[in-house]
Amino acid sequence: MSSRGATAVLSRASRIRSKLQTALEATVLEVDDVSYQHAGHAAVKGSSDKETHFNLNIVSPKFEGQSLVKRHRLIYDLLADELQSGLHALSIVAKTPHETNPSK
Amino acid sequence: MATLNLSSLQALAFHRLSSSFPQSTPTLSFNFQPKPFANPRPISLKPYVSEKPRARVVALAVKSLGETEAVAVSPEDGQSAGELPSGSGVYAVYDTNGDVQFIGLSRNIAASVAAHWKSVPELCGSVKAGVVDEPDRETLTQAWKSWMEEYIKVSGKVPPGNESGNATWVRQPPKRKPDLRLTPGHHMQLTVPLENLIDALVKENKVVAFIKGPRSAPLCGFSQRVIAILENEGVDYESVNVLDEEYNYGLRETLKKYSNWPTFPQIFVDGELVGGCDILTSMYEKGELASLLKK
Repeated sequence: MSSRGATAVLSRASRIRSKLQTALEATVLEVDDVSYQHAGHAAVKGSSDKETHFNLNIVSPKFEGQSLVKRHRLIYDLLADELQSGLHALSIVAKTPHETNPSK
Repeated sequence: MATLNLSSLQALAFHRLSSSFPQSTPTLSFNFQPKPFANPRPISLKPYVSEKPRARVVALAVKSLGETEAVAVSPEDGQSAGELPSGSGVYAVYDTNGDVQFIGLSRNIAASVAAHWKSVPELCGSVKAGVVDEPDRETLTQAWKSWMEEYIKVSGKVPPGNESGNATWVRQPPKRKPDLRLTPGHHMQLTVPLENLIDALVKENKVVAFIKGPRSAPLCGFSQRVIAILENEGVDYESVNVLDEEYNYGLRETLKKYSNWPTFPQIFVDGELVGGCDILTSMYEKGELASLLKK
């Protein structure tokens, strides 16, 4: 009950951040709500939830050796509940620490 | 009956209006197709003989064909970037033998020549261009006529490209492929499961983009960007509008399971999911997409 109540109170951005951080142990995790840019978006008409579009920038060792498709799938799987409950679209940048600092 | 007649008349009126509209658009770029000359050697007054002021103004508006220098058209891309003007005027296209193939008028001479080169490069060796400073339709037409008359006087014939019925030099409007439809309509019972249709579709076509909205007017920015990238690559691709509830009913949910990908657009190449807008953009910017499409 308390955890359910806590979930309801948290914003979508907080829930996204929490799920991704727990699973990916990210060194960089930027979660930007850009839903306002898609206001009036034809494909989103009828959606009562206003937190529909997010830009994600994630740096995580979990992406090592993974193709872009697999990285994005991993993120989508972690956010499956959000996608089922009104999250409409994600823009994703997913890199390994090595890719952000090739000289190391 | 009266109602039908009225509708018919309205349709005719509308057609007339819509057909006349392009004529009045000053920014329209077109190549004028002349009516056939009754006399191949028309009798016309020379500009300096005529006392009419307008004729003199026209004579001043554009150099004569003979006085204008020809500019070679680049064999690589048909561009003569700094040499051909992008303004309005009249132009003559010569083949590599120095014979005139076509005399046209245009709102953008450089663009028209580039378009000609794309469709008939073997006929585009060099170009003479005469810019018209006050490019209303009448002045452009007069300039074109003066070049045509000058050429006919010298050669005794009409340029091949300007002959009646020759459509080689007419600009063709780009044709957009229609979006694919997976079913004959919502009311029809499917005899094959939708996932089988999807599977066959992505495997039988090199590139398939499942987008939100039609390719001519995508309804979300991500689908728009995907279409722009594919168009820039010049690749032949199929598109499917996942929001089309009449002909692609149930596609969205079925496709999410098929591809294990929860968002749109989705792009398939050689039967495999490449990803969505972000991945396609990344591959495009790195040049990986071009490599993939050439395999």
